[in-house]
Amino acid sequence: METFLYITAVYGVYLGIGVFVIGMAWRTYQWATTPKSPVRLGMFPKPKTGAARVLKMLKDTLIAPQSARIEPLMWAFAFAFHVAALGAFVGHGRLIHEFTPLVNWLGEDGMATFAAWSGGTAGILMLAAVVFWIARRTFGPFKQLSVPEDYLLLALLFGVIIMGDHMRFVGTIHAATYREWFQSLLVFKPEIPDDILRSTTGWSLGAHMLFTDLFLIYFPFSKLVHAIGAFSANLVRSE
Amino acid sequence: METQQMTTLAGVLDKKMNRQLKQYLDICARCAICKDACHQYVATQDFKYLPARRAELIRQIYKKYFTKTGEFVPALYEARDPDENLLDELYESAYACTGCRRCMYYCPFSIDTAWILSVAKAILIAAGKGNEMLGQLADAALFKSDNFEMFKDVIVDGFKDIELQVKELTGDPDAEIPVDKQGADILYVALAGAHSILPAAVIFHEAKASWTLSYFEAANYGYFFGDAVKARQIADRFMDEAKRLGVKEVVITECGHAYRVAEIFHEAWSGEKHSFKVRHILEVIDEYITDGRITVRPDAITEPVTYHDPCQVGRNGGIFEQPRNIVCALASDFRDMTPNREQQWCCGGGGGLVAISEMDEFRLKSGTIKAEQIKATGARIIASPCENCRLQMEGLNDSMELGIEVKAIMDLVLEAMPLAGSSAKVTPTD
Repeated sequence: METFLYITAVYGVYLGIGVFVIGMAWRTYQWATTPKSPVRLGMFPKPKTGAARVLKMLKDTLIAPQSARIEPLMWAFAFAFHVAALGAFVGHGRLIHEFTPLVNWLGEDGMATFAAWSGGTAGILMLAAVVFWIARRTFGPFKQLSVPEDYLLLALLFGVIIMGDHMRFVGTIHAATYREWFQSLLVFKPEIPDDILRSTTGWSLGAHMLFTDLFLIYFPFSKLVHAIGAFSANLVRSE
Repeated sequence: METQQMTTLAGVLDKKMNRQLKQYLDICARCAICKDACHQYVATQDFKYLPARRAELIRQIYKKYFTKTGEFVPALYEARDPDENLLDELYESAYACTGCRRCMYYCPFSIDTAWILSVAKAILIAAGKGNEMLGQLADAALFKSDNFEMFKDVIVDGFKDIELQVKELTGDPDAEIPVDKQGADILYVALAGAHSILPAAVIFHEAKASWTLSYFEAANYGYFFGDAVKARQIADRFMDEAKRLGVKEVVITECGHAYRVAEIFHEAWSGEKHSFKVRHILEVIDEYITDGRITVRPDAITEPVTYHDPCQVGRNGGIFEQPRNIVCALASDFRDMTPNREQQWCCGGGGGLVAISEMDEFRLKSGTIKAEQIKATGARIIASPCENCRLQMEGLNDSMELGIEVKAIMDLVLEAMPLAGSSAKVTPTD
């Protein structure tokens, strides 16, 4: 298990984050240095001021009210997924540093309960959305439109989430132990704590990180670059 | 197809590449939320009309030729060469699109599929597979300007015939259709035929406007064909006229795409800022009514009237309220369609489709949603400021027996204006 964990939870993490950061920066640089269309591609009605334009862009990107109107179910799952993913991302911040003010407020036990509930909810929501997306892509025009990239990304996401959920719901290791591991990565003195190596949850962490590493490595080369591109494309809507 | 030729066609995509296009090709999630936004897909359930699919054909070329991952693992993206098969699919998808951009409205990333398809048309033209009819119509427009002296007298004679009707309607023997008038405030750009000239001429006369009529028609088949150079040259005909005459504004008749070309595209294409404003005739008429420069009888039309927002005038042109103001000023029973304004359904007649006879059956089928919308209002008259929309709705009226009258807004205004001349309205002939 140790070798597996060193590959997925140490070297893979460095590689994944490196490729992700450089890849996304490169992609953004490519967009920024490609000349803009001289033709205004916006549609009406348009906001009148620059600030209103930015607000509309944020609303269109973060809430997508038009998409909600045309396919409410798809929108609901997509919205739930993105909010849950953001929540999970923030929650993983505990790996870098414990949310001390929250612990002071809720107490040790309260924090554990809160983390279990919020992390569990995010994990279930994300899983439900990914299952919905996989199901949606198995029939009719959605199937016809789908390309292998779509399934690859969903498979990777499914792996990331299901293993994360396994660690959350079944695993016996708590945040403090994971923090030890993650902080060791941050100071470039990687070490896998014995608690993880001794527990079967170690395998879950290894699998969770394997999927995460692959997901991060592929991210900048995939349609997921909409994470950045959606903001500027939606800004074009009102130019 | 030779590899060299396919590389050349992919090169067209490179030539057309810009930031927006690159982002559209990179970020589409293929979520297909756009499928229910497209009237053609909804009416036919045919996969080739699904907006994301149309764009996907260009994305397949982009992935293969312009991304490393697509080059090395084409199967991951179903990346393809622009071979005969792909070009045939592209033709059906691109030339069927009316460019209504309703899919863009609902897309969570605002992907402009019509813009992507303009590149598809450029690729098809480079492959010698552009739509023949649209190409011929574009060439005919340019032939007219290239050989203008040959046509000039016939054009002016046509204007003189219409001028007689203007005199009769206004009761003013001095009423005229000014042409080539240096220093006029307005250059009015009409469509071929009296129907778009006569009502405007009467309205300008009654408003005592300083105006002149363009020798050239507003319609731009270069734009529908997908040839940006020809489209610019066709618009240049009246834009150059406007510059030469020193007008303050160019006013485009009740035509959707011509307005968008003049107002949104032309400056970008020519790389030159206009020294005049560009307005749609309905903006001008609304202003005349508001300012009291012309009068319309408030109850001139008592039958229920509805209004269709042409895509290029409304969602893509920004004119929503002025036509409604005008109709409400003269009709006692105005009923808006649902949905309307920026969410309005395309009627199916845009994109030059009404000029392509082999698309007639498909075009009318794609208009069934619009026909249902019209029926639901219970209106007897439908007004719309776009020639292609009106032709399509007349087709729908016949094929689906809607029992409606399709009218231009200017026609309603003419009916509602108390004119000093002949009480029997003159029906303009084409």
